[in-house]
Amino acid sequence: MLLQAVEVSKIFGGLRAVDNVSFSIETGEIVGLIGPNGAGKTTLMNLISGNLKPENGRIEFNGQDITGCEPNKICRSGVSRTYQIPRPFPDMTALLNVAVGVFCGKHRPHMSLGDAMLDASHFLEFVGLFGKRNTLARDLSLFELRALEMARALATTPKFILIDEVMAGLNQYEGKRAVRLIRKMVEEFHVTILWIEHVMKIIMEATQRVIVLHHGELIRSGIPADVVNDPLVIEAYLGEKIA
Amino acid sequence: MQTLLVVLIYAVILGSLYLLISLGFSIVCGVLRIFNLGYGATFLVAVYGMWMLMHTFGLGLATSIAGVFIVQFIFTIGIIYFPIVRKYMEQEELLLTALLLVALIVEETVNHFYPVTAGVDLPTTIFPGTIKVGATTIPAQMLIVVAAAILTTAFFVLFLMKTRIGFKIRAVSQDNEAARLLGVKVERVYALAMVLSAVPPTICMLVIAPIWAIEPTLGHSMLQTAILVTILGGLGNLRGTLVASFIVGLISSAVAFYANPRLVGLSILVIVFCVLLLKPQGIAKSESLW
Amino acid sequence: MVRVEHKRALLVFRFGDKKFEWPIEPRYWRNPMIGIGLLALLPLIFHSKADFLSLFATANIYACIAIPLGWQITGIGRMNFGPQFFVGVGGYAAGLLSVHFGWGPWQTFPIALVVGLLFGIILSPLTTIAKGLYFSLITLILPLIFLEITCYFRIFQGETGLYGIAPLIMLESIKTEYMVSGYFSLAMMIMYLFIVQKVLSSRVGLYAAAINDDEEVADSLGLNIKKWKILAFVITSVMITMTGWFAAHYFGTFAGVTYLHLPFMLKILLMVMVGGRGDIYGAIYGAYFVVILEKVLTITGSVNYILFPLILMILLLTLREGLYGIYRKHRYREYYPTMRVRK
Repeated sequence: MLLQAVEVSKIFGGLRAVDNVSFSIETGEIVGLIGPNGAGKTTLMNLISGNLKPENGRIEFNGQDITGCEPNKICRSGVSRTYQIPRPFPDMTALLNVAVGVFCGKHRPHMSLGDAMLDASHFLEFVGLFGKRNTLARDLSLFELRALEMARALATTPKFILIDEVMAGLNQYEGKRAVRLIRKMVEEFHVTILWIEHVMKIIMEATQRVIVLHHGELIRSGIPADVVNDPLVIEAYLGEKIA
Repeated sequence: MQTLLVVLIYAVILGSLYLLISLGFSIVCGVLRIFNLGYGATFLVAVYGMWMLMHTFGLGLATSIAGVFIVQFIFTIGIIYFPIVRKYMEQEELLLTALLLVALIVEETVNHFYPVTAGVDLPTTIFPGTIKVGATTIPAQMLIVVAAAILTTAFFVLFLMKTRIGFKIRAVSQDNEAARLLGVKVERVYALAMVLSAVPPTICMLVIAPIWAIEPTLGHSMLQTAILVTILGGLGNLRGTLVASFIVGLISSAVAFYANPRLVGLSILVIVFCVLLLKPQGIAKSESLW
Repeated sequence: MVRVEHKRALLVFRFGDKKFEWPIEPRYWRNPMIGIGLLALLPLIFHSKADFLSLFATANIYACIAIPLGWQITGIGRMNFGPQFFVGVGGYAAGLLSVHFGWGPWQTFPIALVVGLLFGIILSPLTTIAKGLYFSLITLILPLIFLEITCYFRIFQGETGLYGIAPLIMLESIKTEYMVSGYFSLAMMIMYLFIVQKVLSSRVGLYAAAINDDEEVADSLGLNIKKWKILAFVITSVMITMTGWFAAHYFGTFAGVTYLHLPFMLKILLMVMVGGRGDIYGAIYGAYFVVILEKVLTITGSVNYILFPLILMILLLTLREGLYGIYRKHRYREYYPTMRVRK
């Protein structure tokens, strides 16, 4: 068992954004995290990555308790993430963006800047951005930014990657490339993935298991084909009448 | 008992003075969300513009008072707002440095033409003489300061709460992008806020000129007071500024009477510093204008 | 033991499993060497003119504040409006000990260092607690508080300033003394330049850039932002403190009124801005430019006080990348920081 969350809750004012959610993820899985808008998916992701602290509950990663640790500690233990709206370092080139990940993802006291650049360019080549290595991150297109974020996430040598909505804002062709990239990532780096997505088709194709959140509660978890036919899930998405 | 009364009277007087000084700064801070570090120059333009109109051009008192408002208008719009604030709104380090430089340029220009030895003296005294309270005497003009502060604040509050333009200004202060989408001409509101912010300093200088030491460097202490009161009041919240100026007035009068008058500046600075550390958003409850 | 390898343009030093790389390409070295050589010639040329030498030292002292400040602003991701606070700390630590106990410069040196370190450590939590604008405000207020304190307590001699601080060196001839202390200031500036240049072109510079661009992302990439921000703040604060120590001993007097007021801060800020924000060499250009401009303008008589800020303002608003930007356009591979006050 790679990641285990036990009764995790997060409250914003009067809103229970994540409410007693428990689940676990095995090594090597690709797990989809779905739910209607405002269901608490991104909050759950922020709880795992440490950007938010849970009110109660426990999150274990690789047998270690990481509840309420600082994001940098969690990252070093092997959890990496991407953002829904890409957040690169806008004033740095693509290569330097990835080099930050190379330096910080692990304790590497004896690595020189040149070695880190070399490492970073491997990751950039892997996501297909090597040609743009000297472009400032703020000048990249949305797809390129997503790819850059993935390269940066991979550069921290993670065991587990949290992916937040790859498809949002991409056209069909770019979306396909992004999905192919994630598959290649799993094959080559053997990472486990928790993937928030709105496009059902991709979730059905790419994931082995799906977790459904609604109003912060976990309402269903199972293989994709079962979950989409579940009346509770359909109700959450489309309302009572159709279910 | 007697001292307490004097302390309270002084607290009200100093509080009104601080309110008048910091009102304009607070409005700019609330609407434009910038620090107008050139605010000290506004006071200089008010007092020396008046002196220039009266002494150099030989205008009458009433005409000069009308004239100084026009000069102030031209200064804030033509020199501060359009060339600097509007252009460099997004590059804050440039903006703040340029505003500080404008204040310095105005100060040095004034110093060149009317140095301290020129003996600037505005005949805007309304109540001459002094009032005796207990063991201390207070210049009667200070009562005018209190009245002016209360009237100006009341005018601003009514203007912002009751008029259409006031609504627009408050909308822009809360979210300028949303206001822009709803059809508010944000640039115009900014310009209006800059003009409004120059009114209290002008009134303040006209009223206190007879009892104040007029020198070209008075902008520094004014700016410092305005910054401190505005920080304490929560960066642009008028209600906060109102409360904060009277708190600062109380502190300074109490320290001056019970401890040492030389400790006043230090005590205010230390209190504002502690407030910033413990409660950065100041004493205001919300980030709105009122 | 230490093993040295020569790899193309690099000298690689290995010590156990530690590795340190040193580029030996002449193209990295040529221009700084020429510049430093020219600067080193200046005291020799003007050895008979004391006021020129003191101008030279002033420029170096300003640069010694501006260079660490450049690192600090990116390293903590916030705009510091009160670097002069630490100048005051160093200057008063040196001045008080020297005036009241008669200590020499090398005896006050460790004390100033420790005091600067102490203040740096006490204030360093601010870099993680206070967000953008509030940090700027707090740093704006700090020097003013210090100024008030110096005016209140008798030992600081607030209005007149401390005078009679022991000079850096005592020599037979006053001329050589001036020249040698001028060289001291140059050496200090070059040392600061060297330290900050080496740091910013290493991985610490990369971390500073990441913190300046987006703290939160840097944190979730595994960068311990608290540690690096506090380190950057404390080290640069100590460097600025030592500049204050140097200034106090060089001029022999130290008054809070000249160093802790807003105009002094404005001068430092202008040096960083007009010199060129992208590069630390810009700070040196800025420092020399501002000092020389101030001196040259005195021939215009009393108008110079107006002309000086006016010229700087025009330069500030027209040269977007500063004076250094004229000499060289920045390339994409280099980091060119954006400063954000509001954030």
